[in-house]
Amino acid sequence: MSDGGNASKLIEVQDITRVFHVGGEEVRALRGVSFGISRGEWVAIIGQSGSGKSTLMNVLGCLDTPSSGRYTLNGKDVSRMSDDELAVIRNEEIGFIFQTFQLLPRETALANVELPLVYRGIPARERKARATAALEKVQLAHRMHHRPNELSGGQRQRVAIARALVAEPSMLLADEPTGNLDSATGEEIVRLFAELHQAGNTLVLVTHEPKLAARCPRAIRLSDGEVVADGPGREVALGIGQSVMAAGGT
Amino acid sequence: MRAFLDNLRLALGTFFGNPLRSLLTLLGIVIGVATVITMMGLIEGLRLKVNNDLGRMGAHTFQVTKWPAGGFGRINWAKYAKRKPLEMDDVRAIEQSCPSVGVVAPTDDEGGQKIATAANETQPSVQVYGTQTNYTLTSGVSVQSGRYFNDVEALDGRQVVVLGTDVADVLFPGIDPVGHEVRIKGRPFRVIGVLQRRGSMLGMFSMDNQVMMPLRVFQQLYGKSRSLDIDVQAKDPELFKKAQNEVTTLLRRRRGVEANVPNDFEIHTNESVTASFNQLSIVITIAGIGVCLLSLVVGGIGILNIMLVSVMERTREIGVRKALGAKKRRILGQFATEAVLLALMGGAMGVGLGFGLVFLVDWVLRFPMSVPPWAVGLALVMSCGVGLLFGIYPAARAARLDPVEAMRAD
Repeated sequence: MSDGGNASKLIEVQDITRVFHVGGEEVRALRGVSFGISRGEWVAIIGQSGSGKSTLMNVLGCLDTPSSGRYTLNGKDVSRMSDDELAVIRNEEIGFIFQTFQLLPRETALANVELPLVYRGIPARERKARATAALEKVQLAHRMHHRPNELSGGQRQRVAIARALVAEPSMLLADEPTGNLDSATGEEIVRLFAELHQAGNTLVLVTHEPKLAARCPRAIRLSDGEVVADGPGREVALGIGQSVMAAGGT
Repeated sequence: MRAFLDNLRLALGTFFGNPLRSLLTLLGIVIGVATVITMMGLIEGLRLKVNNDLGRMGAHTFQVTKWPAGGFGRINWAKYAKRKPLEMDDVRAIEQSCPSVGVVAPTDDEGGQKIATAANETQPSVQVYGTQTNYTLTSGVSVQSGRYFNDVEALDGRQVVVLGTDVADVLFPGIDPVGHEVRIKGRPFRVIGVLQRRGSMLGMFSMDNQVMMPLRVFQQLYGKSRSLDIDVQAKDPELFKKAQNEVTTLLRRRRGVEANVPNDFEIHTNESVTASFNQLSIVITIAGIGVCLLSLVVGGIGILNIMLVSVMERTREIGVRKALGAKKRRILGQFATEAVLLALMGGAMGVGLGFGLVFLVDWVLRFPMSVPPWAVGLALVMSCGVGLLFGIYPAARAARLDPVEAMRAD
């Protein structure tokens, strides 16, 4: 993880909105969302479908920019960046873990894990060494020359996690990481997240599953594009208490 | 550079991922390039052959004729028909009053003749030449068996012939024709020799399907009032230009050509014939490049098509790459490299196929072909250009994709 961790938060979201124009109609997916996430936190963002959590995930992942408001990631204001500038931020700061894994089917596990390093311009030899190390971390070094279709769902997601880790980003951003896995495999992945959290990684996990969010030390609940709860994962996920806005807020 | 290598690897992966589709797509370019290579091989072969064949018109020799030689443009025959014929008097005048001239060899010829023996006859396609003995000096012909006719036979107008090898092969298969008799226009001729095989002019017209007879006999057979072709050899290579000037001045005076009026006869040298052929070959080359460009455009549309399909099929991949930090330029580069490589492979296959055709023609038709190296270079460069031109639009489309949307594609 990048150092320089001080009082300032890794992620600072201030009153961001995101408005889509669909067939002449305005859809307000985010209506002024604010929160902060510190280095080393493990946070779930939870909400029903249509709550705006996917939009928020895209904004946090620098795949989209907010219509208004300010998003600061690792000290950089990324809310008004160009596509190519955002590509650099995604490459350096964010490790994505997707529900559908999003591995390149024609490439081996190793080549998939190398991908972020390719776009960082790292020489092939070093790329290979770092990708191998990342695969070892997820216990998949022995499968690194297999293509995704030769791997089980859990193995695929672990390859995706290795890919997210390999470039040492400031945060891991996971979108429904267990959504396509059976419960036993899902559990395995959640345990891997817990280990990564233990090791000091910052994890942001977007999910609609209360059970998963309950495992996180902190959860933020979205509803209709607004933050309606923010507090310890168990409480927010299961609706215990009223930890609205205050607990982890800025 | 590293990015380029990565792109190259990806592009190769695409090609071999679906080789049949790639090959079919490339067919346009393959055929276009093969065409241009074959065409260039043909033209270059023709050019070398022309230089070689025409070079046989003995050294420091030129030819004076009434008619322009073959010519590759439109010829106003009526204009030339009014010219006075060249006659034996002209030949004698050149011999007497041109000090730089060594040999003057008048000839006349008639095509489409049939030569016969009691047992065999040729197609009516034989070229009959009437010459004097000194024709062997100016033309470079020589005999392989028997002999050429001598001055006595020439002056007396004896009915003797020297056969070209094609004629000899047809009329006297497996035997030496010398001493036998053939009939030309119903008259008997004694065969006194067979010419050395000369091969074919430009690979098309056999120069062995001919017979030579004394000019005097020829004129009895085909008429006297015809215009002669006069081969003139300078005494010395250094006197070549001078001899041409002397002959030109003399003939202009004899034919009453006024100053400022062009010659009413033609002077051909190896150089002048080669030059007019070279002009023709430039025209063919340009036409060839035009044909090639056309088929490259067709090939380019193939590339455009496969690249659009490829971008569509790999929308998700593009989304992932962009999400993981690929900038627009990088995606653009990836797909442009792919298109160029695809086109280049087509070009290379076209060059291969072209060479195959060239060797086939060489081997089957015995027509010497030669592919100039620049044609290979040009074909490959044009292929790359086509790949880039037609690949840039699909690549730009890929580069513009929104990563979130793209990753949702199936």
